[in-house]
Amino acid sequence: MKPLTVNFRDKAASTLKDKQIQQSLEHVYTGFFQGRLAAAGDTPDWNELRTKGKAIKDHTIAHLDYYLEQLTDNVEKNGGSVFFAEDAAEARKHIIDLAHKRNIKTVIKSKSMVSEEMGLAEAMNDEGFETIETDLGEYIIQLADETPYHLIAPAVHKSRKDVAKLLDDDFKEGDPVPDATELTMMARKKLRSVFERADMSVTGVNFAVAESGSIALVTNEGNGRMTTTVPRVHVAVMGMEKIVPSIQDLSTMLRILIRSATGQRISTYVTMINEARKSDEEEGPEEFHLVIMNNGRQKLLANPQMRESLNCLRCGACLNACPVYRKIGGHAYGWVYPGPIGSIISPVLTGLKDASNLPNASSLCGACHDACPVKINIPRMLLELRWRTAEGSTGKNERTSSYNERRIWGLWRLGMMGRRRFDFGARIASIVLRPLAKNGWLKKAPPPVSGWTSTRDFPLVASRSLKSRLHKRDRKAKP
Amino acid sequence: MTDRAKFIANVTNSLGRIDVLVPTAPDASTGTAGFDNPDAIKANADRALADAEKRASELTGLMAYSAASAGWNVHRAANPEDAAGLIANICERKNAQSVLRSTHDVLSQIGVDVAVTSTGATIGITEHSGENSSAKVDQSKATAFSADIGITGVDYAIAETGTVVLHPRSGLSRLVSLAPATHIAVLKPGDVLDSLDELFALERNDFLNGELSGSLNLISGPSKTADIEGTTVTGIHGPLEVHLIILE
Repeated sequence: MKPLTVNFRDKAASTLKDKQIQQSLEHVYTGFFQGRLAAAGDTPDWNELRTKGKAIKDHTIAHLDYYLEQLTDNVEKNGGSVFFAEDAAEARKHIIDLAHKRNIKTVIKSKSMVSEEMGLAEAMNDEGFETIETDLGEYIIQLADETPYHLIAPAVHKSRKDVAKLLDDDFKEGDPVPDATELTMMARKKLRSVFERADMSVTGVNFAVAESGSIALVTNEGNGRMTTTVPRVHVAVMGMEKIVPSIQDLSTMLRILIRSATGQRISTYVTMINEARKSDEEEGPEEFHLVIMNNGRQKLLANPQMRESLNCLRCGACLNACPVYRKIGGHAYGWVYPGPIGSIISPVLTGLKDASNLPNASSLCGACHDACPVKINIPRMLLELRWRTAEGSTGKNERTSSYNERRIWGLWRLGMMGRRRFDFGARIASIVLRPLAKNGWLKKAPPPVSGWTSTRDFPLVASRSLKSRLHKRDRKAKP
Repeated sequence: MTDRAKFIANVTNSLGRIDVLVPTAPDASTGTAGFDNPDAIKANADRALADAEKRASELTGLMAYSAASAGWNVHRAANPEDAAGLIANICERKNAQSVLRSTHDVLSQIGVDVAVTSTGATIGITEHSGENSSAKVDQSKATAFSADIGITGVDYAIAETGTVVLHPRSGLSRLVSLAPATHIAVLKPGDVLDSLDELFALERNDFLNGELSGSLNLISGPSKTADIEGTTVTGIHGPLEVHLIILE
């Protein structure tokens, strides 16, 4: 998927003005955010579980090379194949080639953010394969030709009327809008016939278990089970970080993932796939393929400041907790991963220069850190990326600060380094800015300060410093 | 160098190392369970089963409660005849034409075939025929998709989450609990585990003994979605209605 992170400001501004989307975004808070709080409150050892989850992920990422070897050996031992893709294009090509070789006609997908990175559904449709998303939210998004709005609720911004227009061929403006149940049943009927004829599936991976070569999938709808049962070829795609060492670790990870995602104790279905159809099974795919993708993740791994972001379970809790996401919505972030987690991984995976607004789209309130099931310190990484846009290397497509901006902050720094300099600087600022101000506030300043005053007023520096006022008062008070 | 070797060498490099480092045990209280020794794993599995046996009635009670909150229609049957009556009732109410069932012992024990056929519906059994052609697989799929009701036993249940656990195999197809619009599961006390920890302890022990099934399904209520305006709707790709019959 082509990153559009550079359009952040425009997209955020238009979402803020869209009343219907603002209303839809309420569901994120009332549904998911409060659901997670209730589930966490209901789980006596919640914090210990999160600590344990973090320890499991920290350990796995620190030994990722070892666990990738182990996972690959075991998938192959179970009769599956593993393909390592350096980037989205390699992964796409591998899967499309496989589909051609197997003479595939219809491909069904269950929700996978990694396949969004690949732009896989679109590419496969262009190649002539009928490729259909089966998660209801993803299906709606596919019909609308949009990208997911949320990690686990891709169509959260769509109203019932929007959905009716997409799902119901006979729906006309002015018709009564069907309720959610009627619309869901319409989708069930349409997708049932797709399931029955599909001959290949592409799914994501919630967890890959290194010791047994298994994958685990979490769904409420049942499409995770359909896609891993009906077609004759099953392809699972994963980012290289989605590993846990042992089967036993799944109990901890499923508990924290699902509670954090939807507030449920468990999703309706958890499916663990250990191998393709066994010879005494009636149904199941003939082949299992696992695609493990880098696509920039090794950059996150190589940077000790950013490595922790690979612990992410993609539950969406940080989105639901984020006061900024809940206002500007998912599309402003411009790539596959919205919200706080997107603000730290998109810049590294797609280029910081275009995405330089993302790390600034936060008040650093820390709600994402509190909500994260594996305690990822997102605010710390936001600051790291902000530092890089200001002072980072120019060669690596990082720094976006202008020469003037750096000069101004250089002067500021100089001024802050001594009491006398500070007093002197404050007096100069007061004299220079006074003619431009009205009632003590600077509302419109010339460039380069206009960047600040276009969205905020700047308070005028007081004519006399606090220190000198106190000084004067003390003198008066003396007998 | 193969793609795999190159990829993994890059991961090693990114970790600031030259060679793959074999992990040593992390802090046992917080880290992965990957370092437990085989004796401990076996002991965990044995304990899970002994616990299920010893606390059978308590855990069954908990299961009934959490299953109901997960969306199962929970029924208690005092004896096999009651269970058969409940199943016949559901078949009649759903006006079922064709019913598919697994080969779980508990189903023959309650005489499920007679119960179903007495309502006028046909009953099929998901047993592998010994033939592995793709035509045969297609036929099984078509049968499952056209069935109105799927009936299974329960391999394990999980009291913590209201979950029915099924290991697909010969005699228990993957689709019998998924494709029909109604699923009925029959549970015997003694098969209820306390929590996910116990289930995965058993799975891990099976794995070390080379007895892991091809796949594993945890089912907690009816298929559902909240993808349209956050409204929860029951029944999208899997069953719209699920029944748990607890046979005392």
